Amino acid sequence: MKKAIALALAVLATSIVAASAQGSSKVANASTAVSCKGTFDLPFLTPLTGGAGFLGTEQASWAKYAVKTLPSQYGLKVKLLLGDTPAEAGPAPALALAQKYIADPRVVAVLGPSTSGDAGATAKPFFAAGIAEVSPSATHTDLTYGTPGDPLTGTPAFFRDVARDDQQGSTDAAFMIGKLHVKKVVSMDFQEPYSVGLSKEVDDALQKHGVTVIHFSAPNTTTDYSAYVTKVPSDTDIVFFPTQKPGDAQTMAQQLIEQGKKAKVFGGDGSNDPSQFKVPGSYLSNFAAPISLFPYNKSIIAGWQKDNPGKQVGSFGPPTFGAVQIILQGIKATCADDHGVIKARHDVIRHIKKVKIKNFILGGNFAFSTKTNDPLNRGFYIFQIQSNGTYKLVQSPGA
Amino acid sequence: MDTFIQLTIDALTLGSVYALIALGYTLVYGVLKLLNFAHGDVFMVGSFIGFGVFNALGGGSTPKVPVWLLLTLVTLAAMVGCAGLGVVIERFAYRPLRDAPRIAPLISALGVSFFLANSMQLLFGAQPRNYNVFNLDNGALYLKGFDIGQVRVPLLRIITITSAFVLMLVLWFLVNRTRTGKAMRATSFDREAAAMMGIDIDRVIVFTFVLGSALAGAAGVMFALRVPTTVSIGFVSGLKGFTAAVIGGIGSVPGAMAGGLILGFAESYTEGYVSTKWSDLVVFCLLIAFMIFRPQGLLGRADIRKV
Repeated sequence: MKKAIALALAVLATSIVAASAQGSSKVANASTAVSCKGTFDLPFLTPLTGGAGFLGTEQASWAKYAVKTLPSQYGLKVKLLLGDTPAEAGPAPALALAQKYIADPRVVAVLGPSTSGDAGATAKPFFAAGIAEVSPSATHTDLTYGTPGDPLTGTPAFFRDVARDDQQGSTDAAFMIGKLHVKKVVSMDFQEPYSVGLSKEVDDALQKHGVTVIHFSAPNTTTDYSAYVTKVPSDTDIVFFPTQKPGDAQTMAQQLIEQGKKAKVFGGDGSNDPSQFKVPGSYLSNFAAPISLFPYNKSIIAGWQKDNPGKQVGSFGPPTFGAVQIILQGIKATCADDHGVIKARHDVIRHIKKVKIKNFILGGNFAFSTKTNDPLNRGFYIFQIQSNGTYKLVQSPGA
Repeated sequence: MDTFIQLTIDALTLGSVYALIALGYTLVYGVLKLLNFAHGDVFMVGSFIGFGVFNALGGGSTPKVPVWLLLTLVTLAAMVGCAGLGVVIERFAYRPLRDAPRIAPLISALGVSFFLANSMQLLFGAQPRNYNVFNLDNGALYLKGFDIGQVRVPLLRIITITSAFVLMLVLWFLVNRTRTGKAMRATSFDREAAAMMGIDIDRVIVFTFVLGSALAGAAGVMFALRVPTTVSIGFVSGLKGFTAAVIGGIGSVPGAMAGGLILGFAESYTEGYVSTKWSDLVVFCLLIAFMIFRPQGLLGRADIRKV
């Protein structure tokens, strides 16, 4: 009897919790009006831990700096909420965080997600809730640009301020063909959206030009690549290695040398970390050039370095600053249009699409393409690792 | 032929690490009849201790001591650190449960495993740590070595395999040629009888944990010299070490060594000749096959029960 009562109480308690969760998500839906005088919550979904934690940590430092310095310029008050989405855990943490942020009525836009896998998984829930997303690093092509073989997985609410994988893939392949004159390439993917998409773009582009491509697929949890290196033919020119873990790019490059293979590693933007990936002669591409190339960024760089003593400006952080600026400008425009009140979250999506920024942190002026939610006129830069471990720019977009 | 040689070198390297981990499992099981599931995480802690000492001594770019001394000190530090950890684990997680039903220390072992993994994550984060030995002595560990046909056997692999075999030999000597080793074997055979013969059981058990954990620490360093280490390596590596111990015969020291090498070969040849996706499947199918057809393992003793 006692057991039956206890079971019934447990079922009742579970039902109450489920119902209230259901209820709270109905409260904060797309059409709830939000006053622009209050503090907006700005969630940022990024991998703060795990193999890609270096990326999230760097981006988080720039997000904090942006939220510290930019809102006052737009007459807004913003609180940054960091949500950890380790790459190894798949999209589950991002989906759970998405539900939490959707239920928060002070969230009208989201920074990130940083990774393509999380962006793809959370695009529809955020769109259904009318919440705009601006990602500083999710580059998978079909998030904004679908093709017959690769349909669109993103939504009209998903934006990014960096170039796409197909642009990266074609840039990387063109460099390998035109500058490195490759005949044989081994390309790898790690069974997650970023590397699968990017390696496919590169494979297709190389094969069209008659380059022999051998493709390997490794689980995302792989740390020892000896077995794959054993299978790399000795006449391979390049191993295209679009990992999101620079330490793994270093391991692959080391193990190629260990086994006496002549092939060099060519990483994607996910391997961009001079402190971890530093085998001389290796290559990598990235969606941003050093922001110090643009004089108007001097005060931003100085301010960030003051808040982050001893740290160097990387390439993942500045697009995050830019993404925050885009979001704030979009919120500001919505507030102005709606007379101090955001009547519905999806109004912010419309205004973010129209954002134009002069002297954008990544160089030049910023606007979104009229055809997709990609930035207009962005491209990829290619670097080669020097003998002292520094990255030398060897090709700029359009070169 | 070159592929076969390369895969064999990979197998010996991997197998040596698994053998060192398996030895820890088998030593503890032999004496206490306890499956120490925290052993894989002791291996992980060893790799982190080694990383800390490696960087304290200048790291790969600016080492403060010669390379041979650097690697020796790093390995010794990991062994000593893990030995101390083993003593603490035995004292607080297993000794109070020595006379409890066997499930109790097993659950305690699982708890210690989770505690270690999560503590390390809280303390050090989930970022991978790379020893970066590539830069040592202008890449000597990768570029120097000897050739078998077209295949280079680099110095790093030679050091890993040789060190593992030396440690196994030292362990064999300790267990078979010293009084303490004799006491360990007596305790493993019959704990009560050994106590009645005047053997200090507590000391023997502590010494067993010291030995097993020290070997795990050494294995952690050997593993992390070649690939980045993270807080999550303990679980899978521990599982494979346990599999090696079972294949070789849990409780048998030569069995653990053989089991580790068999596992290394199975994994390496599967990756090379079948597919990298199948290696773990083959390894754990081996475990199941041994449990069904030869549960005492290759070199273990079948339990004789009086009826």
